[in-house]
Amino acid sequence: MSDKTVLYVEDNEFNLKMVRQLLARTTYRLIEATDGEMGVATALEEVPDLILMDIQLPKMSGLEATRRLRADPKTAAIPIIVITSFALSGDDQKAKDAGATAYMAKPYSPRELLQTIRNLLPEQ
Amino acid sequence: MHWVAAIKASVHAKLLAGYLLVTLLVIGMGAMSLQTIAKMSSQGKLLDEAHERVHWSQDIQHALAMQMNFTAMALLMRSEAAVENILRENNRFNNTLARLETAAQPEEVELIQRIRTAQGEALTTVADIANLIRDGKVEDAMRLQQNKQYPLYRHIEEFVTQLVGREQGKMDRLRASVAAANRNTLILMAISAATLMLVALLLGFIISWSFILPVQKAHGFLSEVAKGNFAATINVPNRDEFGALAAHMNHMSQELHRLYESQHQASQELQRLNEQLQQASKAKSNFLANMSHELRTPMNAILGFVEMMLDEIYGEVPSHLREPLTDVQTNGKHLLRLINDVLDLSKIEAGRMELVLAEYSVQDVVETVRTSLQSLALEKGLDFVAAAEDDIPLALGDGKRITQCLMNLVGNALKFSKHGRVALWVEQQGENLLYRVSDTGIGIPKEELENIFGEFQQVDTAITREFSGTGLGLNITKKFVEMHGGRIWVESELGKGSAFFFTIPLRMNHGEVT
Repeated sequence: MSDKTVLYVEDNEFNLKMVRQLLARTTYRLIEATDGEMGVATALEEVPDLILMDIQLPKMSGLEATRRLRADPKTAAIPIIVITSFALSGDDQKAKDAGATAYMAKPYSPRELLQTIRNLLPEQ
Repeated sequence: MHWVAAIKASVHAKLLAGYLLVTLLVIGMGAMSLQTIAKMSSQGKLLDEAHERVHWSQDIQHALAMQMNFTAMALLMRSEAAVENILRENNRFNNTLARLETAAQPEEVELIQRIRTAQGEALTTVADIANLIRDGKVEDAMRLQQNKQYPLYRHIEEFVTQLVGREQGKMDRLRASVAAANRNTLILMAISAATLMLVALLLGFIISWSFILPVQKAHGFLSEVAKGNFAATINVPNRDEFGALAAHMNHMSQELHRLYESQHQASQELQRLNEQLQQASKAKSNFLANMSHELRTPMNAILGFVEMMLDEIYGEVPSHLREPLTDVQTNGKHLLRLINDVLDLSKIEAGRMELVLAEYSVQDVVETVRTSLQSLALEKGLDFVAAAEDDIPLALGDGKRITQCLMNLVGNALKFSKHGRVALWVEQQGENLLYRVSDTGIGIPKEELENIFGEFQQVDTAITREFSGTGLGLNITKKFVEMHGGRIWVESELGKGSAFFFTIPLRMNHGEVT
């Protein structure tokens, strides 16, 4: 029984709830943060195995949070999936530039999200 | 000139007055010339008379000489008959003297009296000499002639010479005065002619300049107005037609100024409105962009939860709930497409849409479209072919946008075809790519062909309901094609099907991004 930790930084409670329920049937342990600053603080504190980062967050944008985590040696190697709102025109590139390992356009399919997580961080 | 200009009379009247003045001066000069000619002719007559009187006085002189001559002959030939010749000469002498005496001056009359008295005495002596010759006393006669007649004649001759001198002097004086009068007349005529010419020229100058000046001012004024200086006014002293014209011009300028001002105000108002509209449009676009983003977050939850339910993450789904859940999913996806289209369009209109240029494979794009839409074609029982020429090299452009365009066109083709075939074909034509999407659908009426690429355009609102399109797809497609520097068009036959074409450069230059 592994307990690989996934941090989801997202301000919308329904999306948080959805991912919470999605991962409830897996072995992943989910921790949550509801704004960019809190996301960075939680990541530095808990050092999760994978981070889901929404691009639009209160206090600090997801891109800025990603850059900070990449800059810190403690979190620099953690895979980060950036969830973009504007899937179109350059958001992917911005996410990549900030240091995202992968990106998904919102609205994403929970099935595809889980697949992406599993690809980057196998359950066992 | 100003004075002439200010005269309240028409141009016609001023010109007539000028010509009339000149004409009057010419007539005056003509009259003066006639008078001079008459005067000269009368002076000529006087001169002739004086000449005649000189002639007469010379005649007298001659007659006197003849008398002395005949006396000498009578003495020499001792014949008294020769003396009769003297009497005849005496008659000529007296007659001529009488002629001279008429119209003679007082001192002349006195002289003539003396001559006549002396002549009378001389004749008495001639008679005595004749008597002595008849009596044979020739020597006495010769003595009488020597002592009395000769001195008498010398005396008379002296008077006659004086008379001749006087007449000659009179004639000379008259001639001199005539010559002087002629010279004066000539000078007077020359001065009059010169004055006439001067007056005519001066009048011409003044009158013409009183017309030319306002014309020149009008020229300057009109140039100013043409340059847009409506504050310019024309000010002429004329109270004639030119004055009226200038007043009209000023009125015209004022009217133009008024029109220009109102036009200017209107255009400023329009500009202000335009700015307001642009701001409103930008605000609208921003609002739409933000709204679309805000809409995505709940859409994410809706579609996500439904998918998880259908994936039975929450447990087994009762069969009677599966269909309504699928309906929620289908409509949610449609709503998402609408949101995406609205977002794209608002970004394009706000000028915030940018192409992301990268190399892409046309074959990959076609494959993406094929796999995405294959299930839809299969569902509808349509024959769906999507292919590209084998040897197309890597293209440079926004592959995602081109995929989006093709998804729109092929999606439409599939939607509007109930049976038959939908085909996507791509080929290279020189420096360009030609995309063709053809279907065997309902077709587009001719009158709609031009509008088909406009916003919210579908052939029929009933069709919109049936085929559930957003009406924005073609408009967005057209805009993306144009942003690539390409062109889109459609060929269609009602009831038989449509073919959409677009061409874009195979490789876009970065500078071409619009």
